[in-house]
Amino acid sequence: MTAAVAPAGAAPVLRRPRRPALRRAGWIVLLLLPGLGLILVMIGSVLYVAVAQSFGLYNLAGESVLTAAHWLEVVDRRAFRRALSYSAYIAVVSAVASVLLAYPLALWLRRPFPGSLTAGALLKVPLFVPGLVAAFLYLNLVAYHGLINQGLMALGLTDRPLRMQNDPGAWGVIILQIWKNMPFALLLLSGALQGIRDDVLDAARDLGAGPFARFRKVIVPLTIPAMQASLVIVFIGAAGDFAFQSTVGPTNVQSMAQLMLFLSGTAGRWHEAAVVGVTLMVLALAGSALLALLARALARAAR
Amino acid sequence: MTTLRAIDVSVIFEDGFTALSAINLDVAEGEFVTLLGPSGCGKTTLLKTLAGFHTPSTGRIEIGGRDVTADPPERRDTAMCFQSYALFPHLSVAENIDFGPRQKGVPRSERAVRLAELLRQVDLEAQQAKLPGRLSGGQQQRVALARALAIRPSVVLFDEPLSNLDAKLRVQVRHEIRGLQRDAGFTAVYVTHDQAEALAMSDRVVVMRAGRIDQIGAPESVYRRPATAFVADFVGAANLHPIRSAAGRRIVTDFGPLDLDEPAAPGATHLCWRPEDARPEDALAGGAGDGTGDGAGDGSGGNLLSGTVRARAFQGAFTELLLALDPDGTEVRLHLPGSAPGLGARLRFRLPPAALWTFAEPGS
Repeated sequence: MTAAVAPAGAAPVLRRPRRPALRRAGWIVLLLLPGLGLILVMIGSVLYVAVAQSFGLYNLAGESVLTAAHWLEVVDRRAFRRALSYSAYIAVVSAVASVLLAYPLALWLRRPFPGSLTAGALLKVPLFVPGLVAAFLYLNLVAYHGLINQGLMALGLTDRPLRMQNDPGAWGVIILQIWKNMPFALLLLSGALQGIRDDVLDAARDLGAGPFARFRKVIVPLTIPAMQASLVIVFIGAAGDFAFQSTVGPTNVQSMAQLMLFLSGTAGRWHEAAVVGVTLMVLALAGSALLALLARALARAAR
Repeated sequence: MTTLRAIDVSVIFEDGFTALSAINLDVAEGEFVTLLGPSGCGKTTLLKTLAGFHTPSTGRIEIGGRDVTADPPERRDTAMCFQSYALFPHLSVAENIDFGPRQKGVPRSERAVRLAELLRQVDLEAQQAKLPGRLSGGQQQRVALARALAIRPSVVLFDEPLSNLDAKLRVQVRHEIRGLQRDAGFTAVYVTHDQAEALAMSDRVVVMRAGRIDQIGAPESVYRRPATAFVADFVGAANLHPIRSAAGRRIVTDFGPLDLDEPAAPGATHLCWRPEDARPEDALAGGAGDGTGDGAGDGSGGNLLSGTVRARAFQGAFTELLLALDPDGTEVRLHLPGSAPGLGARLRFRLPPAALWTFAEPGS
């Protein structure tokens, strides 16, 4: 800031220095560049290469030819369509179930009580356990000679071990997805719930709203952003799952990530793998947007 | 007819703290009763107990003759206006007001009539589509009031509703609330720590201290005849003096004998008078005493006292003086209209016997 020189005897007049709008905009861009620029370059280049490769460019083992043939070939394949619907199913169920389970826990932990800090910390432990480690721990539980089967047999509840590993219904994958992702949803929802003032809930109660009406008409609408963020993040993570699926998932279907790895690695078909990769990105984007919109619409209808 | 009754209500919190002790309160239909007291005296706890947010440890609450002690807030015929307004931030003004009737299952046509009527009453028709965050503090307060009235409760409970407003707006909204209460005829229990608000708005004032009721009465009676030293001191400004001895209509204080209008209260321990009741005689010349320190009535309309001005504060409508009385230097406060003597000046004033009252303070 500069001070204009005042005539003798007059009070000095302070003036705000004028900064041209273009120069200001330039400063903002420069300040954002180290962070945002890196993100844009990384995402943009990966996205560009993946899309280009899916259309026959950037051929790693031959001549690059711009063509839609890889798309037509992959989309026509039953394994691709099954992988797409399977990944979408796992992602939707995991996201919705994680959020549904996180809400009551976040409500329970909203007001401090003896042991609430410990309970909250224990619930967040899965965030610190790598997915692959969790999958192997789960395998130890449900394997043919795992702890659950040993327990059931020791208790005389069954004569022979049950087959639970790599179940065709993908319950193992869903359980692990929820176990891993629910704490994250809990973290987001807890923050949003703690932002709701007690007297707002008391006012709803005073005006005749019972527990479910308070949840539906006050809590859900006021936690929509956290709910949407939870749904989106869990959906994207679960849609691209590889670790859980390859360890405990059903053997009769592949996830999109599994299929992509198979096409690029085992089969060496990079262009088709790029088609699967681009589809996975579209699934993540479209699916999470759809879930977020659905959550908003439901919350609006509820109030 | 009594609408609201608290009978021997005590509230003891989980940590053993006694928030309310044996509270007895009857509120008549259409009455405006104010719970007045300093922070932590239990007035909000009592209000929340009446609303159903706290369950009494002992005693019971009746509304309209029905025992509601075990009923949750949603099943009581009360509505509360919260200190922070507690408006639903995701709902418009109209949706906020309509929330209660919807919950209570009021038919849609009836709800529309109530909404239109309330919006008109609180003068928010033009703001009905706005979210609460877009309104001023005064407007939010009016929405909170309309929302409470929309369920047509027998009793409206106000928890320091004006404390977040600036002084000028507070006076305006105070009149609006009282006007609405008179028009709609609902029973109101109002919590405040502002004695001016309590005196201006209430049919009766309940002065609370440490979880107990010190005095219940009309504003004039609480102000003019406080039952305890605490009430005298909390409600308005007061001069309190211990009484050395009392015989009939004459008492003896540290600064001399004084005549009363009525015989002193049995076992009277304290004398009390309001600063504005002093009648200045004249300002005395010089700094020395004039020998009129006995304070006895002289038959010409009051107890004549004199003293020296120790401090002076201009308050607009009056000037507050801190006076050291003759002969012992007891300090008293005087509120004198118009011009008042300056620091160090000598002042002679009369205290009319009718302005003095005595009471027995337990434990004195």
